[in-house]
Amino acid sequence: MSTTPETPGREKMLLDPGFELTLRPMRYPSFYDRYRDAIKNTWTVEEVDLHSDVADLAKLSEGERHMIGRLVAFFATGDSIVSNNVVLSLYKHINSPEARLYLSRQLFEEAVHVQFYLTLLDTYLPDPDDRAAAFDAVESIPSIHQKAQFCFKYMNAVDHIDSLQTQDDRRAFLLNLICFAACVEGLFFYGAFAYVYWFRSRGLLHGLATGTNWVFRDESMHMDFAFSVVDTVRQEEPELFDDQMAKQVTEMLEEAVEAELQFAQDLCGEGLPGMNTASMREYLQAVADQRLARLGMPIRYGSTNPFGFMELQNVQELTNFFERRVSAYQVAVEGSVSFDDDF
Amino acid sequence: MTTAASVALPSQGSADHAQTDPGAALLRLLTDRSADLPQVDPGHVAAAALRGRNAGSDFAELRGLAVEAAASMIAEDPQYSKLAARLLALEISDEAIGQGAVNFSASIVVGHTEGLIGATTAAFVAKHADTLDELIDQRGDDRFEYFGLRTVQSRYLLRHPITRKVIETPQHFLLRVACGLAVGDTAESVREVAELYALMSALSYLPSSPTLFNSGTKHPQMSSCYLLDSPLDNLDSIYSRYAQIARLSKHAGGIGLSYSRIRSRGSLIRGTNGKSNGIVPFLRTLDSSVAAVNQGGRRKGAACVYLETWHADIEEFLELRDNTGEEARRTHNLNLAHWIPDEFMRRVNANADWSLFSPADTPELVDLWGADFDAAYLAAEAAGKAVRTIPAQTLYSRMMRTLAQTGNGWMTFKDASNRAANQTAVPGRTVHSSNLCTEILEVTDDSETAVCNLGSVNLGAHVSSDATADDLLNAMDWDRLDSTVRTAVTFLDRVVDINFYPTPEAGASNSRWRPVGLGVMGLQDVFFQLRLDFDSAEAKQLSTLIAERIMLVAYERSNELAEQLGRHEAYAETRAARGQLHIDHFDTAPQWTGRWEALRARIAETGLRNSLLLAIAPTATIASIAGVYECIEPQVSNLFKRETLSGEFLQVNPYLVRELKELGVWDAQTRDALREANGSVQDLNWLPAEVRSLYRTAWELPQRALIDLAAARQPYIDQSQSLNLFMAAPTIGKLSSMYAYAWKVGLKTTYYLRSRPATRIAQAASGAARPVVSVPSPTLSPEEEAALACSLENPESCEACQ
Repeated sequence: MSTTPETPGREKMLLDPGFELTLRPMRYPSFYDRYRDAIKNTWTVEEVDLHSDVADLAKLSEGERHMIGRLVAFFATGDSIVSNNVVLSLYKHINSPEARLYLSRQLFEEAVHVQFYLTLLDTYLPDPDDRAAAFDAVESIPSIHQKAQFCFKYMNAVDHIDSLQTQDDRRAFLLNLICFAACVEGLFFYGAFAYVYWFRSRGLLHGLATGTNWVFRDESMHMDFAFSVVDTVRQEEPELFDDQMAKQVTEMLEEAVEAELQFAQDLCGEGLPGMNTASMREYLQAVADQRLARLGMPIRYGSTNPFGFMELQNVQELTNFFERRVSAYQVAVEGSVSFDDDF
Repeated sequence: MTTAASVALPSQGSADHAQTDPGAALLRLLTDRSADLPQVDPGHVAAAALRGRNAGSDFAELRGLAVEAAASMIAEDPQYSKLAARLLALEISDEAIGQGAVNFSASIVVGHTEGLIGATTAAFVAKHADTLDELIDQRGDDRFEYFGLRTVQSRYLLRHPITRKVIETPQHFLLRVACGLAVGDTAESVREVAELYALMSALSYLPSSPTLFNSGTKHPQMSSCYLLDSPLDNLDSIYSRYAQIARLSKHAGGIGLSYSRIRSRGSLIRGTNGKSNGIVPFLRTLDSSVAAVNQGGRRKGAACVYLETWHADIEEFLELRDNTGEEARRTHNLNLAHWIPDEFMRRVNANADWSLFSPADTPELVDLWGADFDAAYLAAEAAGKAVRTIPAQTLYSRMMRTLAQTGNGWMTFKDASNRAANQTAVPGRTVHSSNLCTEILEVTDDSETAVCNLGSVNLGAHVSSDATADDLLNAMDWDRLDSTVRTAVTFLDRVVDINFYPTPEAGASNSRWRPVGLGVMGLQDVFFQLRLDFDSAEAKQLSTLIAERIMLVAYERSNELAEQLGRHEAYAETRAARGQLHIDHFDTAPQWTGRWEALRARIAETGLRNSLLLAIAPTATIASIAGVYECIEPQVSNLFKRETLSGEFLQVNPYLVRELKELGVWDAQTRDALREANGSVQDLNWLPAEVRSLYRTAWELPQRALIDLAAARQPYIDQSQSLNLFMAAPTIGKLSSMYAYAWKVGLKTTYYLRSRPATRIAQAASGAARPVVSVPSPTLSPEEEAALACSLENPESCEACQ
């Protein structure tokens, strides 16, 4: 057992228990910057136009419709689980008011995501029983149940911890943080995004893709924030990041990849042109490697991303406004009228 | 280079099996079709295609996967685009033949039988079947790059109403468009058709999308733009305008509409002794109406609402596209533009106050411009009619903020637009707005809806074979450009007569004024070919020369057409009839003075067939068909993805690739770096400085240069230009300086302000820590047959996209 962190004379650290209130001087300005950047990317569900999706749904094959049904079922509850963890674990233990500002913002974004997928579900599934069944997916659909169980396991692991008093507490918390960043937002969601973009790469379900684009942008930022928390803790308490941690994280990602593959098996069945379990495996493994590399840990698979349409996500968009809303605009703009600024 | 032996073919390897093995057949096809493409590795494509197969894949499906696989490798080498296009052309041709379109005339017969092709065109083709079949350029399809062909396939080719299979090949389609514009059915008619087809097949000129969609069909609605005056300030007029817009939207889509005559919030309504709620609730209804018109179709209509800057609802107008606030006061489907009088800009510059009025109190302001407007505005202020007064800079600052936040709220200038307009010679004739894309400027009133037919010359296809940057006067093949422009004007003028008009107001206006809008695309291609920096003096000079030449020839041709067919009906009401041409409003020194003088003399004698001839439209779709950069725009990135209803496309700047290959640096490091930098070469410090300078993107160029180029060509554009401006991180200070400059140099209109997302999506499975990925090799799978979007078969959802 380690000593309590509140050793007198030692600098305060990010995971020290408590509810720090001081914003000046600011100890973690980068968290505050992230909060402000996030505000610039505000979007609302009303901006997403789902009207062409309904027509597309009618054109899908049975296999594709099955895939969409499962996806919607996953999305419907996925973001709620993440929200819960933000409140029950991250907000509680990341002891920096600027980080908590960011987490408040993240919580709002998760709520928008939940609203988006709820709207989507209401639009895609006109039948009230189907809607209820989708929300029951966590219980009734094994491949989704398994993913939920994975999340709950890492939530339960910190459930009893009121404050991070011991090294073990801190380890458990870090695993929870990394689980939600690398495995839930960074792998489960990235898996789901791949199916959405696969549809879009074939000209289908643009409403879903538009909203998902914005969700994707938000989730990327959430993950990035979590990783920067990890970086900070690593700097402050390098001893937490030992071989055991690397081993646990790697095992966790392996487990996540397996769970997501079960889901893929359920979604893809025999396979559809351009999308099958084998390609999905490659993709998920490449994503998992990416997460490990970001965490400074040895990669596990050495796989290559086979989905070009996911790489395309990174490339600049030039949307033809006749066809889509342009999602690239900034919300916060500063300055005052001038006539001699450079342009 | 990978050889056939290394390809992961299915394991059953008996010779017999290979005969029927679709994998082996695919590899043979790929090898054959890439024989002249040294950078293409057919085995690489085959392997990628086979990875995507499932248990039941047959040869056709494998070929489809190979198209996608090849497309995914374009970022590696642009030659893969050619291979992908060739494979796709085969797919299309097989599909068309399967529907009975074994040649052009057969394709028209199928289309006619299925109720798609109009009777006149069907009869014309039947009469000249053999000659027309002979016209088809068998090598025509090989001119397409992959993206262009994909666009044609997914959105333009006619499809069988039941099977949804294409019933024409790309060359059939282009010839069908030409035949739809035939006049008469003589040998001369066929000769003219051949001329237009040859231009289009060479991708030297393309008419706007509505013409491409609908020419030769039963509903030949071929115009791109409709401009409507503001409804009058009463309920009947407001509601009848909705109906007009719905009809136009059903058949066309692109609407520009003024709303400046409607009284502002708080104005008295005498009929009920109540107070008006202003324009917002009516625009909200318009928003729903525009979205509803294509109910069941795949796309909504598109409209842009123009409001004059003195209207007292201007602040609420500015919030219409916000994504926060009361939903009942938001219009997410409408585009918004400001119709700005000079007086406002002067007061912004002077940091003076600005008065806002309700049109109920100042109905005269809408129809006045220039000095008359200024006088009336001052008089209204002096009479105490203002609803309220605010600092001009406060309003201007809010306009800038809206532009930055939404890209919308386009800055268009009322006085500059009217002053030089050919149609405003008679007092009371006023240009009340521009159109959906801010390039059309035509007069409107309650009984006349302005219409414009568009087409664009591909400048990239008109560079002289021995062009150099040192001899700009000989950089372009002027003779060929002349010939292209003459044919283009001939056929644009014809659209006026053949066109189907959705409302009587539109038909009435078009036959009187016969305006057309000839534009350009691929200016950036010209600069790349000549290695001219976009912001260089030479680029400006050449761009201006091109604009002058096109205007000169377009007017020459319109004058000839007037001689042959008569001047347009309202000619007497134009400035041209008074001896005043568009260039006379500008301080500019034309290059070809002799020809201008001769033209002037001939116009004095025989007039013009068209009141307006030039407009630079955005060319979003037709530029991608032609495989060039859009209209007059700089490239947005050296590497970018375009999202359309047809799916996602990755484009890499082929000029850059060619140059880097010559330098020997088109390698994995450069490709990765280009990707990491989102298509910018600025930080690739192993490239020569002049290469980095030439390949700057729109984000990296000084916007002053874009404005200067536009201002320099303005004398030669009698309507206007869809001028986008780019700013990655806009501030009020930068924007206010930029738009004040655009006004000062006399631009008539500007279009979107493009900015960049505040945060970016994390790299999915690549990026800095990428463990294995060596080259970017995105795969696309655009089987966009579902994305009919705007095409002949559902004309009601067709939009004005150029």
